[in-house]
Amino acid sequence: MKFRLALAAFAALAAAVVLFGNDYALTFTIQLFVFVVLAYAWNIIGGYTGYSHFGQMSFFGIGAYVGVLLMLHLKWHWLGAALAAGGAGLALAVPLGWIMLRLKGPFFAISLFGLTRVFEAVSFEWDALTGGGTGLYLPPINDQRMLYLALALLCLGMLMLTYWIDNSRFGLQLQAIRDDEGAAEALGIRTTRLKVTAFSLSAVPAAACGALFAAHLAFIDPPTAFAPVMEVTTIAMVLLGGLGTILGPAIGAVTFAVLNELLWSRFPDLYYGLVGLVVIACVLFMPRGIVSLLVRSRLIAPGRGAFRRIAARSGRAP
Amino acid sequence: MKTLLELLLNGILLGGVYALMACGLNLIFGVMRVINFAHGEFLTIGALATYSLCVTFKLPFWMALLVVPAVMAVLGYAMQVTLIARVINAPMIMSLLLTYALSTVLVNIGLYIYGGGFKGIPGLLTGSVQVMGVGLSEARLVAFGVALGVSLAVFAFLKKSLFGKAIRAVSQEPEIASISGISVERVRNATFALGAAMAGLAGVLIAPIYAADPQMGSRFLIKVFAVVVIGGMGSYGGAIAGALLLGVVEVLGGYAFGQMAGSAVVYLVMIAVLLVRPRGLFGVGVRA
Repeated sequence: MKFRLALAAFAALAAAVVLFGNDYALTFTIQLFVFVVLAYAWNIIGGYTGYSHFGQMSFFGIGAYVGVLLMLHLKWHWLGAALAAGGAGLALAVPLGWIMLRLKGPFFAISLFGLTRVFEAVSFEWDALTGGGTGLYLPPINDQRMLYLALALLCLGMLMLTYWIDNSRFGLQLQAIRDDEGAAEALGIRTTRLKVTAFSLSAVPAAACGALFAAHLAFIDPPTAFAPVMEVTTIAMVLLGGLGTILGPAIGAVTFAVLNELLWSRFPDLYYGLVGLVVIACVLFMPRGIVSLLVRSRLIAPGRGAFRRIAARSGRAP
Repeated sequence: MKTLLELLLNGILLGGVYALMACGLNLIFGVMRVINFAHGEFLTIGALATYSLCVTFKLPFWMALLVVPAVMAVLGYAMQVTLIARVINAPMIMSLLLTYALSTVLVNIGLYIYGGGFKGIPGLLTGSVQVMGVGLSEARLVAFGVALGVSLAVFAFLKKSLFGKAIRAVSQEPEIASISGISVERVRNATFALGAAMAGLAGVLIAPIYAADPQMGSRFLIKVFAVVVIGGMGSYGGAIAGALLLGVVEVLGGYAFGQMAGSAVVYLVMIAVLLVRPRGLFGVGVRA
């Protein structure tokens, strides 16, 4: 019931921005939606499966370049380009996940972090394709409301996907991997296949989102496509909202985005350093996330109830 | 043939500095299971501080060699006590995110103070020495000699001295180390300071070779990460061997495919190693 209420509130707010908002509100909301999608995507692999993923911007950036190249050279519509970018994300995520997900904990994190920097270096170097440091420019989209709608639907899709994961056997299996991978494997959970699936589920929306973001900016260059600060902000958003929760990424993204906007407008020179300080503060003072505060104050029902319902219905005791 | 020899020697010389970085990272990971994403910025601080000492204050280079690591040790100790120590027992993502954010903050402090440009130190160790008919730059030879010397000295310290043994004990079994009367907290703080000092020293050593800039840290760090993944985390000897190997791979790759591609080749080698041996070439299988 609460979930449906949240969906309705989201739809109402999204509609209000299109109907009553000005250009500033539209731009702010588009960028917020990008972060919401990234945060939900990260939550699948980082929150539910427990793999510290520091390479999400690889998929975002590659999706952005695939999308921009299709729009620029083949004159594709941004929607088709975003779908193709999602496909490119999938094509990269499956082999990459299969190799990288053999690594545990910190090794996974640092390898993917490094890989993202390598992609950035390659896109700097490969001017013929990417325009190097100058970047690529697209004819701007004048009416961004359809772009906004597409991103809003993508957010909604991610929310529903996360709701499904949180209430499914698949999600329970992912959480078993998070809690103890060896034990999960001993119980017959096909860990490799599930990890690669979770990794791909997080890569495809990130890549599609990259293409939409590039279409929104009508521009892409390596530091924008593979921005380290976006990586850390996304992860901090999930942490601030609540790792491995349904509403956490959205709550964290909204809180953080508003804070970022305030910092950006007040202290543009110190902005990136201040974002870093905010992230440090989140880690030190809010490690359990806002959702845990809401649960403790009984504004949200504890998520575990849903699991027990599912288990009882299908006759499997938890 | 001569080119190949030159590339090989230059690669090995480059590897020395990676070894110094990788060993510090490895020590810190060993005692705390924390990956320090800010390790690259410790190197940046070392390099920029050397620039300030040698160019702005006109002090001799050997002063920087002594002062900068000492200052970095103090700075590292302060960071450890105020920030890192608070997330050691938290889930891994906390320490990763904390050090990542710390690195962002440090980069931006650097940009605020030094601006975005490259800071070279003119007229320092510019000579070259003939080795087997190949000219090697003095700056690189000094960097390699000091870096490898310090790495091996720390290795000996870990093996022989009582405190070194305490560090190894905490890496292997913190609980049993604590029961045996070792102050785990003191060992961790000292190790982080030591790792920071080693990274700072690496920064001093590369300052005469490459022009320093506030964003150089992550360029070095990604290669050092590849070194520890290939060498196997937790293996000190593996880190040194992996560093020398990767130095050679990078120089050869850079020669064949262009400067930036060198780091891409490093990563391809890393992926190839992972496919065959996920724990790294010399890895001992570390509890994460």
